[in-house]
Amino acid sequence: MLMHVVNINKDVLKANNELAYSNRKLLVKNRIFAMNIMGAIGSGKTTLIEEAINSLKERYRIAVIAGDVVAQMDASRFEKLGVRTVAANTGRECHLDAKLVERSLANIDLEDIDILFIENVGNLICPVDYKLGEHLRVVVVSVSEGDDTVLKHPMIFRTSDLAIVNKVDISEAVSADPSKMKADIEQLNPSIPILLTSINDRISIDRWIEYIESYLK
Amino acid sequence: MHEYSLACEIFETVIATAHNNKALAVNSIKLEIGRLTHVNADQLLFCLDVLSRDGIAKGAKIDVNFVSPCGECECGYRGDAGVSDNVRCEDQPPLYEYTGLTCPTCGKLLQLVGGNDLIIQAIDIEI
Repeated sequence: MLMHVVNINKDVLKANNELAYSNRKLLVKNRIFAMNIMGAIGSGKTTLIEEAINSLKERYRIAVIAGDVVAQMDASRFEKLGVRTVAANTGRECHLDAKLVERSLANIDLEDIDILFIENVGNLICPVDYKLGEHLRVVVVSVSEGDDTVLKHPMIFRTSDLAIVNKVDISEAVSADPSKMKADIEQLNPSIPILLTSINDRISIDRWIEYIESYLK
Repeated sequence: MHEYSLACEIFETVIATAHNNKALAVNSIKLEIGRLTHVNADQLLFCLDVLSRDGIAKGAKIDVNFVSPCGECECGYRGDAGVSDNVRCEDQPPLYEYTGLTCPTCGKLLQLVGGNDLIIQAIDIEI
C-alpha cells in the first residue's frame, strides 16, 4: 500500500468572493448602486429601507432583494411601496451569499434600476464572511440589543462602510447608552461614518437618506 | 456560523479528489483556517467527523493550521498581528483579541490583512 499526498489548495470561501465580483461587475455595468443592509433580527433594517424607498422612489428607480429564512413577509412590505422586490429565501442558511444574489439579480430588469437595497438575514456574524457584490456595506444595530453588542461582534463593524445605531429614542427604557455604542464602533473602525437614528426623529431619518444620496452624485 | 455546509463542501472535495486518485483510504486532511473568519474549528471538525463516519475517509486525521492576519499601519509598519499560532483549536483566540491590536511603532489601530480564508490544502491517501 502506498501513501500519497494530493495537494488541493481550494479556498472554500473564495468561490463566493469570485461570484460576488461578477455580481459587482453586472451592477456597475448597469449603473446600479447596491447596498447590503446587515444587522440583527429586529434592529430595524426593513423599516430603514422602507423610509429610504419612500423618500427616494420619486427620483430614483429602486429594487429590493429581501433576504430571510422566510423572505415573503418583508418582501410584501417593500412591494406595497411599489418597488421591484425579489424575495430571496435562504432556507436553512443564516446569511445571503453571492449565489442567491446572482439568482435574484436575474429576476430584476437591471437596466431599469438605479438603487438596489439588499436586506440580509438578521445576523451579526455570518454575513461578514460573505460578500455579495455590493458597493456599500451598512450595519444596523439597535439600542434594544444592549449597548455591549458592538464589542461582541467586532468583525461586522470592522468590515462595514456605514454604521447605524437605531431606536435611540428608547435608549432609556432599555438601559442602553447609544454614545457608548458609538464610541465602541469608533474604537473598532475609526474611519466609519456613524448615524444615530430613530423612526420618531425625522431629521435622523433624513440624514440616512442624504447619506445614500451622497453616493449617487 | 455555517459549519455544516462548509464541512459538506470540504467533504465533497476530499472524496472527489480521493476517487480521482483511486484512493483506497484517506489518512489525513490538511485544512487552513484564517483567524478572522467566523468558522468555529471545533464545530467544523465535529461535522467532518460525522460526515466521514462511513466510507474511505473514515477515521481520517484532520490537521488544522490557523493563519493569522498580517498587521499593516499607515506609518509603514507591517508585521505579524498574530496572538499565537501554537494554540489548539479549542483554544482559538476570540476575535476581539485581533480587533484592538495597535501598531507597535506609532500606536494607531492596525489594519488587518489576510486571515480570511478557509483552505483545503491537501489530503494524504492510500493507493
